Amino acid sequence: MILETENLTKMYGAKAACSKICLSVNEGQIFGFLGPNGAGKSTLVKMLVGLLFPTSGTARILGRPLGDLGARRKIGYLPENFRYQDWLTGEELLSFHASLRGMSGTERKQRVPAVLEQVGLAGKEKQKVGAYSKGMQQRVGLACALLHDPALLFLDEPASALDPLGRREVREIMLELRGSGKTIFLNSHLLSEVEMICDRVAIINKGKIVAGGTLDELLAQTVEVEMQVEGLTRPALAELAALSKKIAVEGRYVNVVLEHSGQIPALAEAVVKNGGRLYSLGAKHNSLEDLFVDLIQRGDH
Amino acid sequence: MLTIILLTFKEIVRRRILLVTVILAAVFLALYGAAVHYGYQEMSRGAGPLKALIAPQFLALGLYFGSFIISFLAVMAAVGTISSEIENGIMHAIVPGPVRRSTIILGKFCGYSLMLTVFAALFYIAVLLIVHYNTGLDIPVKAAAAGLFCLQPLILLAVAMLGSTFLSTLANGIAAFMLYSVGVVGGMLEQIGYLAGSNMMVNIGIASSLLMPADAVYRKIVYSLLSVPGASLSMTMLGPFGSGAEPSVWMLAYAACYILGFLLLALRIFSKKDI
Repeated sequence: MILETENLTKMYGAKAACSKICLSVNEGQIFGFLGPNGAGKSTLVKMLVGLLFPTSGTARILGRPLGDLGARRKIGYLPENFRYQDWLTGEELLSFHASLRGMSGTERKQRVPAVLEQVGLAGKEKQKVGAYSKGMQQRVGLACALLHDPALLFLDEPASALDPLGRREVREIMLELRGSGKTIFLNSHLLSEVEMICDRVAIINKGKIVAGGTLDELLAQTVEVEMQVEGLTRPALAELAALSKKIAVEGRYVNVVLEHSGQIPALAEAVVKNGGRLYSLGAKHNSLEDLFVDLIQRGDH
Repeated sequence: MLTIILLTFKEIVRRRILLVTVILAAVFLALYGAAVHYGYQEMSRGAGPLKALIAPQFLALGLYFGSFIISFLAVMAAVGTISSEIENGIMHAIVPGPVRRSTIILGKFCGYSLMLTVFAALFYIAVLLIVHYNTGLDIPVKAAAAGLFCLQPLILLAVAMLGSTFLSTLANGIAAFMLYSVGVVGGMLEQIGYLAGSNMMVNIGIASSLLMPADAVYRKIVYSLLSVPGASLSMTMLGPFGSGAEPSVWMLAYAACYILGFLLLALRIFSKKDI
């Protein structure tokens, strides 16, 4: 495991921003960390990169405890709310970060133009960071995070200020990095983005992890079935309710949420056995968005 | 640490802190030079034996207001050095790097210290030269006095850096100036206490020097430059800008410990701070 946390907790007074977070991330993966605003996503990342000190719990990054300088040499971080020294040029900013990471002059000369090219800022390196657009600032932030070729990259909302084209470019960079064996811990609101590129996902709500696993595992957790039924009797309804996690009836349409698709034949049987007439039955797998909304709403009630 | 020091220098230059400071210092020195030149000519005319007391007054005034300007610069430069970089997110990109938090504080302190020391040394030389060439006053060349003049802004720098680790930029600026004002007012009260023979006022001055030793350092400089053995009259004639009693070497040791203490406290607070 390149990253492991055990009961990592951050309290602000009596309020838990993160409560007993247990996560593990394998090397070479893109790990998606999802949650609504204020759920504790950034708090966790800030603890992992050394900006916040945990109230309790432990974590190991690259096999070393939190705060270890050796581990920090091998991690890259793009913060969510950041600003760089706007009086530096893009090139000077990258040179400063290269120097901060102990890169030699030769390495610097080689890496700075390479990452500028990678994030699409080649030719803009002589401009002051203060004159960059929001999207360009996001790109230069990503360049700083990539500069020292880190083994583990923490990206907190990396595409938040980018246009669709920029988002696609960032997505391609992430996929390239995974291809070269790097690990990415991605905090994002963009569920479709996460669905497209992440190998594993964890969802946090109110400071607690509410779901985690591969996307296939998570999405197979629930199946939504829509039926068209006439003459739905009380016993049939009771049996359907007993089978499903959630049921909604609207006229002749019945929507149920099942734990797995193996329960679908029992649904049909419950309707027919109790005198109902089944006209259609269709199952659809949840999208990550459905799962996300369901989990967050459940947590809110 | 060198990376942080160089960045601090670059910031001072790029954000035009140095330019504004140099321009304002030049304006001050030009005005001061004109005041010494014409003031001395006017005041010394017909002053008789009291003529010898005029030039030291000009020197004391120059050093006093020079100390004020440089201390002001120290506070202005460092007042938001940590807090504003946390508030605007710059620290979020630096702290996770392979750099100790103590290195960030020490690098910034060294960067500002070097700038302030060079600036204070040049200012000190300029004031001494202005007084010497306009009044003919023979000012002893004392490296220790010049060193103390350079030490003054470091006291305020340490105060501002500590405040910057836990106060907002505005609150820190107010706190640093209030503390500096306590030292200045206390120093004046102490001198008036010597003139008026009031032990209470002298004690208030000493207590304020413990809270903010910058003024005591100024008194030490003035005493070492202007005191003549066996003639305490010249010191008392300087009034609130003079030095009724020479601050002891322990006061200087205290000032050095004060800087060190504030710096260590800043390191401790910042090393445990959630950002």
